[in-house]
This record gives sequence, C-alpha cells and structure tokens, in this order.
Amino acid sequence: MQTLPFDTVLIANRGEIAARIIKTLRKLGLRSAIVYHDADADTPAVSMADTAIAIDGCSPIAAYLDAHQIIASACRAKAGALHPGYGFLSESAEFARAVERAGIAFVGPSSESIELMGDKIRARRFVQRSGFPVAPSAVEEDDPETFPSRARALGLPLLVKPSAGGGGKGMRIVRNLDTLDDAIAHARREGLRYFDDGRLYVERYAENPRHIEVQVLGDSFGNLIHLFERECSVQRRFQKIIEETPSPALSPKLRKEVCEIAVGIARSANYRNAGTVEFIFDGREFYFLEMNTRVQVEHPVTEMVTGIDLVAEQLHIAAGRPLRLSQSDIVSKGHAIEARIYAEAPERDYVPTTGKILMLEYPQREGVRIDSGIVQGQQITTAFDPMLAKVVVHSSTRRDAALASERVMRELVLLGCETNIDFLARLFADETFLSGQIHTGYLDENPHVAAGQCASDLPAVLAAAALLTRPVRDSADAVPTLHAEIGKWRN
Amino acid sequence: MKHSFALDVENYELWLSPGQHGYRLHLDDEVFAPVSFSHELDGSGTLVIASDTIPVKFAIDGDRLYLHIRGRTYILRYRDQLRTLACLDDQASHLVARAPMPGVVIATKVSRGDVVSGGATLMLVESMKLEFVVRAPRGGVVERIHFGVGDSFERDSALVTFSEEGR
Repeated sequence: MQTLPFDTVLIANRGEIAARIIKTLRKLGLRSAIVYHDADADTPAVSMADTAIAIDGCSPIAAYLDAHQIIASACRAKAGALHPGYGFLSESAEFARAVERAGIAFVGPSSESIELMGDKIRARRFVQRSGFPVAPSAVEEDDPETFPSRARALGLPLLVKPSAGGGGKGMRIVRNLDTLDDAIAHARREGLRYFDDGRLYVERYAENPRHIEVQVLGDSFGNLIHLFERECSVQRRFQKIIEETPSPALSPKLRKEVCEIAVGIARSANYRNAGTVEFIFDGREFYFLEMNTRVQVEHPVTEMVTGIDLVAEQLHIAAGRPLRLSQSDIVSKGHAIEARIYAEAPERDYVPTTGKILMLEYPQREGVRIDSGIVQGQQITTAFDPMLAKVVVHSSTRRDAALASERVMRELVLLGCETNIDFLARLFADETFLSGQIHTGYLDENPHVAAGQCASDLPAVLAAAALLTRPVRDSADAVPTLHAEIGKWRN
Repeated sequence: MKHSFALDVENYELWLSPGQHGYRLHLDDEVFAPVSFSHELDGSGTLVIASDTIPVKFAIDGDRLYLHIRGRTYILRYRDQLRTLACLDDQASHLVARAPMPGVVIATKVSRGDVVSGGATLMLVESMKLEFVVRAPRGGVVERIHFGVGDSFERDSALVTFSEEGR
C-alpha cells in the first residue's frame, strides 16, 4: 500500500469491530488510538490500541455518542483519520462534518450521502426517483390526515416503520387492520425514544421474503464497484443472526441483476467509501430497503470469499486515493457463513442475558475467523448491544461451511453467561437451513430450532454437577460405606 | 440427604453415596456407579460415569454451575435445602412477577392496591434497547412494586408482589 497521508487513526467505537479495525491498522503500519468508557477498560480493543483515551458520559453509550469528547480525543492523539465502525456515530452526518471540520479524515462517505441515506423516507424517495424499485408504501408526513387510510389501501400485510429507524426498533408487522393503530402508536413511541424522531411510514410487507444486500465500494472520483451480495435472512426481531455469501437463492442472472441495481443506486448518490445496499427479495424482484453508509457487522463474509480487506480499502479511499480495484478484480471463491454470538436465551424468546465470562476458549481451525470483543473475566451487562463475537467460516460449499460452523459451535467454550451458541449449533444442523430454503420467517416457522432439546446426557451432567458441588460430596463422605451399599438408605 | 439442582425449568433430586471405586449417583430410582471426577487444568477434568469417560469443562459462580459436556453448555443451579425451605413460607401466600431478564423500568402500569387479572400489563421494561411487557402471572391485588421508573434490576428479581384476591 502506498503511504497514507495519516499515521494515526482514532477508532470511535468499541468491542469486536474496534479490535478488528486495529488489526488492519497494524497490518498497514499505522498507529491506533481508541476512546473508551470505563466499562470497557479491560476489553481487548483497549489493550490492543497504541493509545487509549478515556471518555465519560451519564451512561456508557452516552460516552460513545459524545462527538465533542471524541473529536477532542482524536486531536489529542494527533489522529489524521477517524474510523467510526458501525452503530454509535457512524451514520451521523453532523458528526462526519464535525470530524472533517477538525481537519481529520472521516473514514466513511460524505456527510451529504449520510444525510441522504440515513433518513429512510428521503432515501426511498431518492431511489424511486432514480428509477429503482421500492416496495409500495404510505409516508405519514406526505399528509398526516390521510395516513391511516393510505396505509390501509396498500393491502395486508403491512410493516410499520419509524422513519429514522435502524436495528429493527419500532418495526411492527400488521396482519389485521384492527391492530394498525396500536402498531402506529408503538412505532412512534420507539422512534421517539431511540431516535428522537416520531415520523413513520408504512410499507406493504412481503411474507417470508429474503434479505439480500450488496457490498459496494466507491471513491471520490466516481469509480464504483460491488463485492457481490450477502444473504441475511435468518433473523429474530428484524435483527440478523446468520449472514452468508453467496446467497443460496440467486441464479447468476439474479446475482448480476441485484449487484447492478446496487451499483446504480450508489452511483446515483455519488457514493464514496464502503456501503451496503439492502433489498427485500420476494423470489422474483428486489425492492430497495435501505442503504447503510458504513462498514457492516457482517462484512467479514465478503472479505473471506473475495480476499479483500474492506477496512484497508476504506482507509485508502478516506486518504483521497482512487480505488485500487476494478470490477474484474473481484472474484468470489467458495462460501462463507457468519454467526453472531449473542448474550441471549433463544429458548426463552431470545431475552438478553448477563453474567461474567468465567471461561472462554475459541477453537482454532483452518478457514475459521473469529472476531471477538470479549475476554475471560469480562462482565457482560445490559449497557451495550448483546453481540459478543462473530464466528466466520469459509469453505468450498455452503453445506461444508454450515457443518464446519456447527463443529465450531460445539467446540467453542463460553461459560459464565448464557449465550445462543447451542442454538447456533442446532441451526447449522437443521435440514431446512442446510437446504437453503430460508427466509426472514424461518425461525418463526421452525420453533424447534430455538426451543432446544432436553439434555441428552442428563445422568452425566448431573453426575458432574454433583461431584463438583462440595455440599453434595461432603454429605456422601459423611455416610459410612456399609450403609451406602444398602442402597435404599435415606438420610 | 437429597440434593437438588435446577436445570432449565426442571428440578432434579439426587444424592451421592460412597462406593468401592468412587461414588454412586442416586437419581430417581436409578443408581449409576461408579462416578468420579478427576481435575486436570483449571476448569477442566474428566468425568467417569459407569463405563463412560467424558471430558468436561466447568466454571462455578456461587450456586451456579456452568458445564460444557459433549459440545453442549449446561447451566445448573444448586438449590440449597435450607434456603429453599426458608422461602417456602413467603411463597405460599404471595405471588411474585419476576424479571425474565436484566433491564431497566420504563413505566409502571399498576399501583399498590390495584386488583389485576392474570395477563394484565404490570410494567414496561427495557433490556438491550428493546421494550418488553411484564404481565401478571395470575390475578391478585398489587401489594408491592419493587422498582420505580429508571431503576435497573437483575434477572429473577421480584418486580411486583401480589396477594391473592380476598386473602
């Protein structure tokens, strides 16, 4: 890589993505600086960074949303660039502007692109005007008076969404028009709470669609390429659990079609840096969902099949350089699947869990990449998103990648906090998943995957528990052997 | 003396007795023997049960026991007999809505003295940025609301205590 115009990059993020960005900075010979809240003081990213600067706030999340402290820290660390990761301030146009004003390169698109794509309604309008397909919808602010009747006219089922949404928050499916008003009230409440924005729109909901997205890269000179698609249909509460590439649903013709639509949308928006164009696919057509103007959680599957380090390309573009890759350089080899490890209990409706990580052992295998933001001894709290790590497996076929993923889930040891690891192992062995016949309703239609099985080794589990529990051993040791041999003797 | 372990929603009663080679495990009407556990490195060991030899990883935190056995993770809770007895009296005449997960109270929908029916909304709570509804497990009279708006609580915390109607 040519020398970049900066030697230090500040990471305005935490957890696995911060650690992942640092790895690329090291590879490129750049210095890393990170901001961190006290709750994260013992996490891997903070110990890996060359410079770590503490920031505070009335809550840990508030600290990572404090643009003023973060930019001041970047100046203190003499950072020439700032990588926002995903979440937090990564899609704040105001933050991107403030970073640039401070003379620091923002590793992401222009603030105008963020503004355009960050607002779902504005983005949909733009995409529709540019001649690309969007799902039939009713936007409240077009005429608030007629909004409910326009929504009803779309026909069932409907999906109510906050305009400023993300991460599935506030989204509600309506299958009975009597519940539309409730869904609208709920979406507005969550929109106001999470995004300080109560604007809504309603979309015709495609039953059991697939979620397909395309990774794009653009530079400041109008060059734009795609790095193929990812399928992220396995979701709960509109949040992704499994992501893979290539999508098992696409023929070469459909793949070409969706990648070209994505490049077309990004090109119309004059898009710079890494971005993802998301679509709903009903088996025939792709409808634009939204564009994420940042690196995605699931970017590693694309990196595994293309061999391209997306963070390195982001830095190169942020340095004002033209793309080093042309479309014909991008070749996808084999199949990659990512599984998100969450602190949650799928067996109890995916409720979040907490605990202290008492033991953590990652298996090391060829073709397996684990992006982790946790260490043994760390307390898992509700302060942040429940995602703990990502397991990415690359293999020659989808079936091999899935079965290898199952093996990793069985070998991975994480004790002290309940997680979805056993659930992921069940999922990777599930015949429906293996057949590739997945859609966003897959987990609802296959409740056995979340429900779990009863303990297959119950006597062994209870024997280990008994032998490891002192009072149980003590009371056995207090029993004379002779009495115990009588068998039915009870204390 | 019988000991009790909770695994998922089930309770299992068991006891160990000394045998000639290690212990004997008494579980319901079955006896497994011999059973023994040899410790290796920190947190790992080998379980012998009858003729099976099984590698085990484990971690213990208070009354909670985390086991990794044959590719699966199990979380058990050792139920101390004395403590269980002490709680019985309290549970007999009261109903408690407990927290299914850790979180923060966003709103309380009932007040002390309210008569509610089973399934009624008691509280809105937030956990990991998601909103959940806490419902009454059965009908009753609200006796105590343990947390106010903005308070955070751990999993299994008592959120609302009721007394049964008319009692």
